[in-house]
Amino acid sequence: MDIVEKVQEALYDVIDPELGINIVDLGLVYGVGADDEGNITITMTLTTPGCPMHDSIAAGVEHRVSQVEGVQDIHVDLVWEPAWNPSKMSDRAKEMLWG
Amino acid sequence: MMPRADMKTDTNITLPLSFIVYGLIALILSQFILFFSSSSLLSGQFRIPEIWMSAHFLLLGFALMVAMGAMYQLVPVAFLVQIWNEKFGFVQFFMTAFGILFLSAMLGIKPNFAVYGGILTVIGVFMFLLQMERTMKKVEKKSMMYYFVIASLSFLLLAILAGFLLVWNFAFGGIPNHEAILYTHMTFGVAGWFTLLIFGFSYKLVPMFSLSHGFSMKRAKPSLIIYIAGLSFLVASFWLPVSFLDILGWMLLWAGFGLFVLDIKEILQKRVKKKLDKPFIFSLIAIGSGFLIHTIALGFSLFAVHHRDIWSWLIFLYIMIWIIFSIIGYLYKIVPFLWWTHKYADRIGKEKVPTLKEMMNEKLSIYLFILFSVAIIGIIISFSVASGKLLFIFLGILAFTSLVYGMSIIKVLVQ
Repeated sequence: MDIVEKVQEALYDVIDPELGINIVDLGLVYGVGADDEGNITITMTLTTPGCPMHDSIAAGVEHRVSQVEGVQDIHVDLVWEPAWNPSKMSDRAKEMLWG
Repeated sequence: MMPRADMKTDTNITLPLSFIVYGLIALILSQFILFFSSSSLLSGQFRIPEIWMSAHFLLLGFALMVAMGAMYQLVPVAFLVQIWNEKFGFVQFFMTAFGILFLSAMLGIKPNFAVYGGILTVIGVFMFLLQMERTMKKVEKKSMMYYFVIASLSFLLLAILAGFLLVWNFAFGGIPNHEAILYTHMTFGVAGWFTLLIFGFSYKLVPMFSLSHGFSMKRAKPSLIIYIAGLSFLVASFWLPVSFLDILGWMLLWAGFGLFVLDIKEILQKRVKKKLDKPFIFSLIAIGSGFLIHTIALGFSLFAVHHRDIWSWLIFLYIMIWIIFSIIGYLYKIVPFLWWTHKYADRIGKEKVPTLKEMMNEKLSIYLFILFSVAIIGIIISFSVASGKLLFIFLGILAFTSLVYGMSIIKVLVQ
């Protein structure tokens, strides 16, 4: 498993506290990139601009990813475009919200 | 390039929480004062010192203070700006808190002295308005929610000026049209400030709590304009002897509220989260209740029902089942969020942290919301059948429920 896969796996542990669903299944993570030195860039969004969980979720991502072996610097790039929409959610997340 | 959003917008939690905890204590106080004044209420005597004291503890101590606290928290996150000056915010809190306490207490004990509490409250509210003006000035993207908040703050300014004029007249006299000042103060404060603020934040909170996407908000702009026009005509009717002004005012208020309701309906129809949290459902019921009150008021206005007792009860219902119930519902969501951010935000991703839902007792909230509703219906029935015993019982239920509600919210803070 390379470092990008390890980071992607770790992001499943970051839960949106309002919805109780992890940010990967919610479709909030747009991409994970890494350079040769282990510096990580995570491009992600939130369900709505001005989400009160803004800082907390971004900080949570940094904390969790920092625990992954081989990771050096972490940069969370929080973006609003493309905007999140429900089609980005996994089937598991949809089931939890619609069930 | 994708626009970035990594801007820190957290507010020191002590600031909004100070307002909210003060507000909860004022809510409990106001309901117990009302409970002990039940005999006066039944005889239709709303204008007695104890009722004024209770009303000001409820509307200023609870509703205004909670709204200010919520704004200190929500404005930065909703508009992506930082509060202008947090230290100034704490000074504003102490000024307003002491002012409201002194004003409300003096209205019940020595109305002539209330003017001094009024002065402190006015200074406190002006400080809040300055804080918000400086903060909102930095907003780059001006959404409809921005305009709702600006409009509500403008009405707060007008309400406080009219209120100060009222207290001044109590103490020193000189203005003959006292009734018109009173009604203007109430309309600007209750319908202008609170209603427009709840409209504005509902446009943010309802989609967020229901995870709604793809809705239009196309009625928000006409709703705001029509509601403000309604407020203007209604206030004009207090000052001018023109018979159709109040009808026109209520028609516009009803239409403005109706457009808001249609937008909320659309937002809920397009939600992703099917099972909504109970406190949030309570806030949604409050929106329906608010529309019902506007419909009844329009009906009374059309059929020239001018009986003072009936309108007094309608104002009571407007305050309780629309404004207070909205705030009570939203507060059950806002406080766990505040405390969660304070206590668990740094632990997210490090260890298992509770969800917001796990921080509050949802089962208890259902009982509390039922009791609140039963108490209000009971109070209306007691009044209709003129039963002092029933009124005493239902005001007792309302006071007890407020006490348990306040304690349940404060319990979140000791988790």
